[in-house]
Amino acid sequence: MTEDILFQKLVEIFSSKYVSRERNILNNYSKDLSFYPEKAPKYVAWPTDTKKIEEVLKLANELKFSVIPISSSSGPRHHGDTIPHKDNTIVLDLSNMNKILNIDRKNRVVMIEPGVTFGKLIPELQNKGLRLLLPLHPRDSKSVLTSALEREPITIPRYHWDSSDPLLCTEVFFGTGDLFRTGTAAGPGTIKEQQATGQAQVNPMGPTQFSPFRVIQGAQGSLGVVTWATLKLELIPTIQKVVHIQSDTIPELLNLQHELIKYRLCNELLILNNLNLACLVKKNAQEITELKNKIKRWNLLYIIAGRGKLAEDKISYLEGDIRDIIGDLGLKGLISENIINDNDILQVLSQATPDPWRLKLKGGYQDIFFLTSFEKITEFISIVEKEVPQDLGIYIQPINQGTSYHCEFDLYYDPSNDAEKTNIKEKFLKISTNLMDSGAFFNRPYGILTKEVYKRHDDSTQTALKKVKKIFDPNNVLNPGVLCFDE
Amino acid sequence: MMDDEEYKHLIRRCIRCSICKWIPQLQIKSKKYATICPAIDMYNFHPYSGGGKIILALALEMEKIKPSEELRDIVYKCTECGGCDVSCKFLNNLEPLEIIIKLREKLVDLGYGPMPKQQQYIDSVKKNNNPYNEPHENRLNWLPEDINIDPNAQVLYFVGCTSSYRRKEMAIAACRVLNAAGVPFNILDNEEYCCGSPVFRTGDINTFKDFMNKNVDAIEAKNIKKVVFSCAGCYDTFKVHYPLYRNYNFEVKHSVEFFNELIENGKLLLTKKVPLTVTYHDPCHLGRNAEPYKEWKGKVVNLMPLISIHVPPKPKRCGTDGVYESPRELLKKIPELKFIEMERIKEYSYCCGAGAGVKSAFPEFALHTAKNRIQEAEDTGAQVITSSCPFCSTNLQDAIHESDSLLKYYDINELLMMAIGITDEKLKEFLGEVA
Amino acid sequence: MVLENEIFKDFEDIVGKNNINDGKVITTAYAYNWCMEFFNYMEDKEPSPFSSIPKAVILPASTEEVAEIIKLCNKYGIKFKAQSTGLGPWNQPSTDNCIIVDLRRMNKLVKIDEKNLYAVIEPYVSGAQLQVEAMKYGLNCHMPGAGPHVSPLASATSMAGPGFTSPSTGHSARNVLGVEWVLPTGDIMRLGAIGLKKKPDWYNGDGPGPSLRGIMRGWVGAKSGIGVFTKVAVKLFPYPCSTDFTITGKSPNYGFKIPKYLRLYVMDCKTYEFLEEVMLKVDEEEISFMCSHLSGSGLAAIFSNSLQGLIGKAKLAQLKVPIVILITARTDREFDYKQKVMDNLIQELNIKDIIGKSYSPEPVFYAEALRSNLGLHGFITTGSFQSSKGGSDTAAVCLLSTKMNIPLKMEYIKSGAIGNDSGKGVWMTSYESGHYYHMESPTMFDQTDDHSVKGMAEYMEASNQLDLLKHLGAPFFVEGTQMHELFGPHMSNYHIWLRKIKQAFDPNNIADSGFYISPHSKE
Ligand SMILES: Cc1cc2nc3c(=O)[nH]c(=O)nc-3n(C[C@H](O)[C@H](O)[C@H](O)COP(=O)(O)OP(=O)(O)OC[C@H]3O[C@@H](n4cnc5c(N)ncnc54)[C@H](O)[C@@H]3O)c2cc1C
Ligand code: SF4
Ligand code: SF4
Repeated sequence: MTEDILFQKLVEIFSSKYVSRERNILNNYSKDLSFYPEKAPKYVAWPTDTKKIEEVLKLANELKFSVIPISSSSGPRHHGDTIPHKDNTIVLDLSNMNKILNIDRKNRVVMIEPGVTFGKLIPELQNKGLRLLLPLHPRDSKSVLTSALEREPITIPRYHWDSSDPLLCTEVFFGTGDLFRTGTAAGPGTIKEQQATGQAQVNPMGPTQFSPFRVIQGAQGSLGVVTWATLKLELIPTIQKVVHIQSDTIPELLNLQHELIKYRLCNELLILNNLNLACLVKKNAQEITELKNKIKRWNLLYIIAGRGKLAEDKISYLEGDIRDIIGDLGLKGLISENIINDNDILQVLSQATPDPWRLKLKGGYQDIFFLTSFEKITEFISIVEKEVPQDLGIYIQPINQGTSYHCEFDLYYDPSNDAEKTNIKEKFLKISTNLMDSGAFFNRPYGILTKEVYKRHDDSTQTALKKVKKIFDPNNVLNPGVLCFDE
Repeated sequence: MMDDEEYKHLIRRCIRCSICKWIPQLQIKSKKYATICPAIDMYNFHPYSGGGKIILALALEMEKIKPSEELRDIVYKCTECGGCDVSCKFLNNLEPLEIIIKLREKLVDLGYGPMPKQQQYIDSVKKNNNPYNEPHENRLNWLPEDINIDPNAQVLYFVGCTSSYRRKEMAIAACRVLNAAGVPFNILDNEEYCCGSPVFRTGDINTFKDFMNKNVDAIEAKNIKKVVFSCAGCYDTFKVHYPLYRNYNFEVKHSVEFFNELIENGKLLLTKKVPLTVTYHDPCHLGRNAEPYKEWKGKVVNLMPLISIHVPPKPKRCGTDGVYESPRELLKKIPELKFIEMERIKEYSYCCGAGAGVKSAFPEFALHTAKNRIQEAEDTGAQVITSSCPFCSTNLQDAIHESDSLLKYYDINELLMMAIGITDEKLKEFLGEVA
Repeated sequence: MVLENEIFKDFEDIVGKNNINDGKVITTAYAYNWCMEFFNYMEDKEPSPFSSIPKAVILPASTEEVAEIIKLCNKYGIKFKAQSTGLGPWNQPSTDNCIIVDLRRMNKLVKIDEKNLYAVIEPYVSGAQLQVEAMKYGLNCHMPGAGPHVSPLASATSMAGPGFTSPSTGHSARNVLGVEWVLPTGDIMRLGAIGLKKKPDWYNGDGPGPSLRGIMRGWVGAKSGIGVFTKVAVKLFPYPCSTDFTITGKSPNYGFKIPKYLRLYVMDCKTYEFLEEVMLKVDEEEISFMCSHLSGSGLAAIFSNSLQGLIGKAKLAQLKVPIVILITARTDREFDYKQKVMDNLIQELNIKDIIGKSYSPEPVFYAEALRSNLGLHGFITTGSFQSSKGGSDTAAVCLLSTKMNIPLKMEYIKSGAIGNDSGKGVWMTSYESGHYYHMESPTMFDQTDDHSVKGMAEYMEASNQLDLLKHLGAPFFVEGTQMHELFGPHMSNYHIWLRKIKQAFDPNNIADSGFYISPHSKE
């Protein structure tokens, strides 16, 4: 088949308005902020409904071309996971599918299409007294659904009941082009019929004896194309109190956050080094540097909250109990007042931003992130700090109700400075593999690190994942080459 | 005890929940000491548990399996300790222990029980009036000359075969304490026979009744008001099983009950310090299994389909009324003795492993169980483990020896002797024999 | 059904002579299970409490032994069925070409990780054992409603997972971290961070990349149809109140020194509509350790430990639509706050709490609630029960399902086949502070009565049909090829995908799929 015929077929499916082979457009999809080698897709298509996704996937299976689904409408991508590996690749840009299908206050759930962004969804939910479980200050143009699909850590660990949260049910086209609904959304009955009996697709588990949403999640678009998902929501508190605790050393902050999560005493709970905290709350490099120099190296942020008539009562109980804990740990002197405006912190922890905070310092960054246990955090910090004495942002996020920790190291650099870029790239690889060798668990492996990660993992996991791939995408049409899957 | 009809009904009611493998769920205090059933702890396959034996009873009844030596071995690898029974009955309405006893009876009837080793004991009971193949006339060999026996006393000390022939120190200690308290007491001399327990437990009810009658007749002929036992097994047989077949006109007491009363009444003075840390092992036959059957005459009333109740309510034998407090109170009265509990106590005490013919037929099983118990006692930090049953005594001491434990075993009456301040040369001799 | 000598010998070499048995007596005993009679009847077999008799029973002591056993099964074409506590018909072989792998000897509590709030356990650590050890660190574990005597590993990896404390401790499947898994081929796989070649640890079980926990199980588990789980890390929770746990008295009349900071509320919502409102409100406040709806008779049962005791609780049984809430706290402040929230709700909703007024439970109830022992009260009336339904989504669908089931259940009650609970006997609980709900309908029957057994089987089938046709969520017991093929076409054709998983992960069809799915549409 000639290329023209393929293009023609795509036009038949999507209409000419929604397919493109223009170089400048394709180039947008050829690179990202990672060090992954550039490569442009052959075409880009913008489906507007699910039928088109089905058709293009069936066609891809028939004609053996690759499909990379992406959801975020604009703005920088980071991890190399959507850059084509193969020549014959079509990017399926789902950003036009951006409907909020249902906001359900009663059942605290929202159903959204992939193109719905944080910027759009947060205020809509706010109007109904609801809130998303957010990753740390996301870009407003980022797809909410993708963030959940990527298992990005959320900042309220007590609501993180399962590492899959806040993702609940999904509708998905497997690589075969077959439509599927995961969790209770599977049925019996259509979504309409389910809704007629009062269901709201709030249980992600199943159908019956497997939970396919768990393999779709974390698959970087290599197993299925999700067309909508339901996400778990929480109610917006009436009162929120920000607490900022600083210290020159991290162990006491780790101990305190352990108590706070153990007893589920606070909502947002995270640790940042001075640079990352400054990046989050300040606008530009100068302000960031000033603040960074003013605050101590380690910063624990948490928010206690109350809702409704008894909000004050709840706050005073939490304050009292936390005061006792802080007293017991001997950390009384560490609470800081007014160095950073509480509202600025609240804003960062509850809103999206048009201005990605990790780009504010130098215009570029490379993040290294992985999971680990409480005891190993400090060891990993020393490993990275030894290699990167400056411009290093650190973010420690307890996840999954305090059973593990997302550790993130942001290596800030100036992308226009080639030497710096090369240096960072080298360091990135070296540090990452160093961390891996010391037991860091890179559970979301992206781009150039992927091979290193799987090399260090039990072979049986790879074998099993390949079996899963063979089941849901037997012809390897979806995002080939990511994870441990063949190109 | 249950009749055949009830047996056939109940064996279909096990829900295989395995609760009978554990002490009552609410009593679990550690991972290490959470189990109750020595048989499943040793052999692991489900049929060894109380519930598993109920399944065997059903399978046999439904002719899914035939009587066989394989079946017999499993059914007899059980100390009839009744631990399963207590745990099951916290919520369920089964009778695991009675079903096990009845299943054994059935195997005897079918010609597959008891175990050959146990048969030797039974034969000896029939021949020698004791299971140990000892001459009946040697029954009193343990008795030191200076013990005062009062032929006219209204209190009788029933020695039992094991104390008479194997655990003589226990008999001596009991008598010394009685003497020290100034309680006139008698013994049956050569009119004392095996209480019948070994025969009963294998289902030979007629022979059992013969022994019961011989003993009861002899006691009643002496105008005895109270019979005191230092053997938990004899006590249990008199208290729980004799009344199923014959009423008698005397009171039965285990020495721990009787001596505790004597102390309380000021008859027995504990003046000597016994600065030991001591833990107490509840013998199954003095604890949960010493709870008598309560007579029930009533009817089953069908309340609605599938649901019927007993009117008046039928008493459930759950081990609630065993003798638990007397030994503890007694120990706590000994000057400077520090009493400390194990995790599994009273109605959910872990068996020593010797009962129901296990020590003779499956000595390695008995020892395995006792070692588990000794470990538990050691974990309390105690120096001494004490109890009030000659079978427990033998088996626990074997385990102490086998596991090179530093723990010491004393019969509870020996501790009393120390507190009273009596020593006994002959007793020392016997203790030396044991060591 | 015994194994050939040479094959027996091969197995024996793995576990040693005391840990394998193919004798008639032991294998037959392993063929018995609770509810087997009516499960047999549902499959058009005689309503006998015995299943197919396994060829042998084997007791491995380690993961490596399990792996070797399964490799031998593959070599000789013999199926296996794994069991932990082994309670329930789903433990039974579906064919006589099957051995039972009883995991009883694998009973290590590998670790309690106090700082990372989880525990690693083997299959035969019971819920109570895990709980008492966790309590030493002020922590608690989730247990399924089945009770503290069953295996948290089995529940987490292979079974269902609702429990009475689900509002605060979630669902077994969602508390899973690292997993060690012997695949049906005999290969050992370790999920998540425990699969790292260097410095493996248990704190997370997802990835790298997709989480194979989704293959491991769903809302319910694969019931040994996808291999054997030999270790699992499960999340721990703060112990809800003071860890002082003092039982007094003797069985069965236990007393309990009620620890500080526990308060029970029982309120009659009168209608299901109002119950929904109350339950959602309470759950949104995030205050309850337990929050369940039971029918009046179910409620009376959880407060009684005998049929006789139950009869004395007629007053409870008369409650129309009760809700049971247990709040717990760690400090005075927390306790005061939570009670204040409840007071406010009670006022706002104009509803009455009967506890301490017209009814006060025996203290032992609190001990059973803390130890998750309440489910076992289901047996005290007719001797046996099993739940129909078991779907899980919103409170609304749970209650609709409850209502729609009443006429159906009444039919079978009238015929005398099942115990009379006015058709309303359900247990409904919220999870994760009300983010989802589940309802099941415990149905009492008498396993010794043929009419009852058959009626129970017919009722179960009718109830499943109702759920399917009226879109009330998939019941628990959609497992086994027949049920999957019945429900699959109405549920995204999931059975096709589940079958592909079975084929890919169990190429020789060695893991008994009687309660999973066979690799072929007709087996
Ligand atoms: C009174 C009562 C109430 C109940 N309430 C609830 C409830 O509220 N919530 C709930 O979830 N369940 C409930 N159940 C069902 C209950 O979950 C199961 O009976 C119980 O979890 C079984 O646990 P177990 O340790 O006995 O596992 P098992 O019975 O040993 O195993 C359960 C299943 O998993 C398989 N399996 C076990 N271990 C492994 C393993 N290591 N690897 C692979 N497969 C394995 C078995 O083959 C079996 O199919 C209830 C049961 C009863 C009797
Ligand atoms: S005997 Fe009782 S406790 Fe044991 S399994 Fe059967 S019902 Fe359960
Ligand atoms: S009587 Fe004792 S040894 Fe026998 S089955 Fe019951 S608990 Fe086990």
